Amino acid sequence: MSAAGLQGLRPWLVQRISAAYIALFLVYLVMTTFSINLFSAANWRGWVAWPGHNIAMGLFIISILWHAWIGVRDVILDYVGNVFSRLLLLTLVALVLLGSGLWGIRALILVMS
Amino acid sequence: MSVPDNRPYFLNLVKIRLPLPGIISIFHRISGVVLFLAIPFAVYLLDLSLQNDQGFRDAAELLQQPLIKLLLLVLAWSIIHHFYAGIRFLLIDFDIGVHKAASRIGAMLVIAAELLTLGILLVSVYP
Repeated sequence: MSAAGLQGLRPWLVQRISAAYIALFLVYLVMTTFSINLFSAANWRGWVAWPGHNIAMGLFIISILWHAWIGVRDVILDYVGNVFSRLLLLTLVALVLLGSGLWGIRALILVMS
Repeated sequence: MSVPDNRPYFLNLVKIRLPLPGIISIFHRISGVVLFLAIPFAVYLLDLSLQNDQGFRDAAELLQQPLIKLLLLVLAWSIIHHFYAGIRFLLIDFDIGVHKAASRIGAMLVIAAELLTLGILLVSVYP
């Protein structure tokens, strides 16, 4: 397949793979609350600080950002026709997502130290 | 040869009557945008709750504010709707529940699962 042919397929696929990961992680998180009380500061920090969960949450953050980027990008492309407004909104969305992502990953790294 | 086009053509959003799967679909989009807007707030809460015991207490206290609690209700609905409607769309990608009758049943299952989950959440965690 040519590079041009991949343009719509790749985001489509990323959207679905990230959706599956987000859904599975959420189910795991909800099921965890049945065995561990995560509404306690020490338990919550301990749970997140365990390397497996820490990395799983990092992947969760990346999945959400990527998923949200594709979804919001599609919404903007559907409803905003003006090229300048599009560019401005897409830039804003990208900045919010990247900023949130870095902030979240930083919090995950700090809890390990 | 041109066929006269007698299909109703409403630009008035209030007049559009979407079928159930269409309602599920537009709310999937709306809930997605709502969840996107909540990302910075969620990350703030994550950071705060992981800092120390005081941060965790501050985060818990923040979530008890009346206005925030109302917002949480909207976010809870958004996650739950996006989750079940999303599963339906993934199944449709695998050719499950595509045709009219099955699609309608799928949409009804989404609403049922959504109301059940929201109900459980409202009586267990929310208060």
